[in-house]
Amino acid sequence: MADLAPPVRPVPASERWLAAYVGLIVLFLALPVLIVVPLAFSSDVSLTFPPRGVSLRWFSNIWARPEFLSAFGLSAAVAVVATAISMVAGVLAAIAFVRHAFPGRDALLMLFMTPLVFPAIVLAAALALVMTPLGLLRSFWGLALAHVVLTLPYILRTAVATLTEIDRSYAEAAHTLGADRWQAFRHVTLPMLRPGLLAGATFALIISFDEFTVSMFLVGPGVMTLPLEMYNYSEFTLDPTLAAISTVLLVLTSIAILVIEKLVGLGKQFGG
Amino acid sequence: MSTAVSGLTDVAVEAAPPRRAAGRGALGLGLLLGPGLLILAAGLLWPCLTMLQVSLQDRFPDPTGYTLEHYRTILTDAYYLRIIGRTFWLAAVVTLVTAVLGYPVAWYLARSSSRRKHLIFLGIIAPLLVSIIVRTLGWTIILGNEGLVNAVLRGLGLVDEPLKLMQGFWSVVLGMVHILLPFMILSVAAVVGKIDRGVIEAATVLGADPVRAFLRVALPLSVQGLASGSVIVFCLTVGAFVTPVMLGRGQVTVLAVTIHEQMVVLVDWPTGAALAMILTFGTLVVLTAYGLFLRRHARR
Repeated sequence: MADLAPPVRPVPASERWLAAYVGLIVLFLALPVLIVVPLAFSSDVSLTFPPRGVSLRWFSNIWARPEFLSAFGLSAAVAVVATAISMVAGVLAAIAFVRHAFPGRDALLMLFMTPLVFPAIVLAAALALVMTPLGLLRSFWGLALAHVVLTLPYILRTAVATLTEIDRSYAEAAHTLGADRWQAFRHVTLPMLRPGLLAGATFALIISFDEFTVSMFLVGPGVMTLPLEMYNYSEFTLDPTLAAISTVLLVLTSIAILVIEKLVGLGKQFGG
Repeated sequence: MSTAVSGLTDVAVEAAPPRRAAGRGALGLGLLLGPGLLILAAGLLWPCLTMLQVSLQDRFPDPTGYTLEHYRTILTDAYYLRIIGRTFWLAAVVTLVTAVLGYPVAWYLARSSSRRKHLIFLGIIAPLLVSIIVRTLGWTIILGNEGLVNAVLRGLGLVDEPLKLMQGFWSVVLGMVHILLPFMILSVAAVVGKIDRGVIEAATVLGADPVRAFLRVALPLSVQGLASGSVIVFCLTVGAFVTPVMLGRGQVTVLAVTIHEQMVVLVDWPTGAALAMILTFGTLVVLTAYGLFLRRHARR
């Protein structure tokens, strides 16, 4: 290990200050979450910190409110469907971008990445405008289409990055050995793409599940995503129920991340 | 804008040199790009063009002609102008603060050889996995009248009445910085990581002190990362709704809030569409100016 490290430069003091600063920033980033979790176990109605007693009443309050469960179900379904569609479209497009040279490729790739930086409120308003006459407002498929637009860049980006690292001679070797293009893709390229795709899909699922602004224009009574349901609840009631939901989500996300980290190393996929 | 935005796709474009001329012809390419293009056309281009059209209609839903009246109304109304100014000012402040706070962290992530780097990296991206509602709720608890900061201040006997920390522009800045800092850090780290260590050492060997070596060598080489990070942060801030509403407590009206109000509450679609177009064009203008500025300074 030691012989691989670059020669140590004599600047330990400044490095230590930098490390301390980085630690502070990480603490800042974690702070709201560190506050929310203890409150979920509060026995008090108010959102004061630190909580005055311990109870699980806010967790049982989640179960007592069917709207949270159905919103969770809708959010999960939209996230899965949108991610699946984005995966297919994203991987196909990534193959075109990495393996083919064609005029306007860079500009087109930029267009595909636009939803990453497109102001959410503008996309929301525009989608609501075209979906209303089509009857897609307050519908599952309207939400799913919007979320496909938002998740596609994440899938495409990881797919392009992963595909670039895969030497195309593997697929060509399979081809020479008699595999057709689909077989070469299915049995050679796809298995090598899998870690990158899994990481991209995880991110896409989370982006979709957490999406707020665009969904806000497309939901309605009966078709409500979890972030919107939580927001609506917070407008009228301020008690630790939302903290309890957040804690449940946090546990679910952590499990998913740990599983994927064990499988493929999520950090690696994002250049860490 | 091209300089600034191209930074976003840099990784992909640089990493994907044309390996050979188009092989299997347009059909194969069409099949590969088709689904993605269809999604973009149906979910982005067509809705935006429709919105542009609606913003120019004299009546809705049955227009008798096209007019710039909605734009004129908005751009001559002090109320709307204040909201537009506040929105872009918020985005500029948040971008600046994330750049200043995030740069050293990106530097550390990209260049430190510490074994804790992996953990730090997880600490930076983990907040991205936590619901925005949850994080915003966390800040309302920290900053609220009954919140953590006031509890500590009162416990120490520093204040008698709770400080009203929760109703202004700066609490929104705090919440937005918290949400967007990881985007800035990751964008900058991607570029800083590619700077050849030798270049900075060469500057030092040639007599530049560390500060000069940083300002004259390292910083200009990181401009691309700062540019793409700034574009992401700026665009996500101008389009944000939930943080300004939850942390601004109705005091920080930004364009997103007004657009929502016009379209969903008042159902005045042409005005809402015109506001959204102004937001889009304003963002494009700011980013273009920013891109030109950076291009000029990067060349020095």
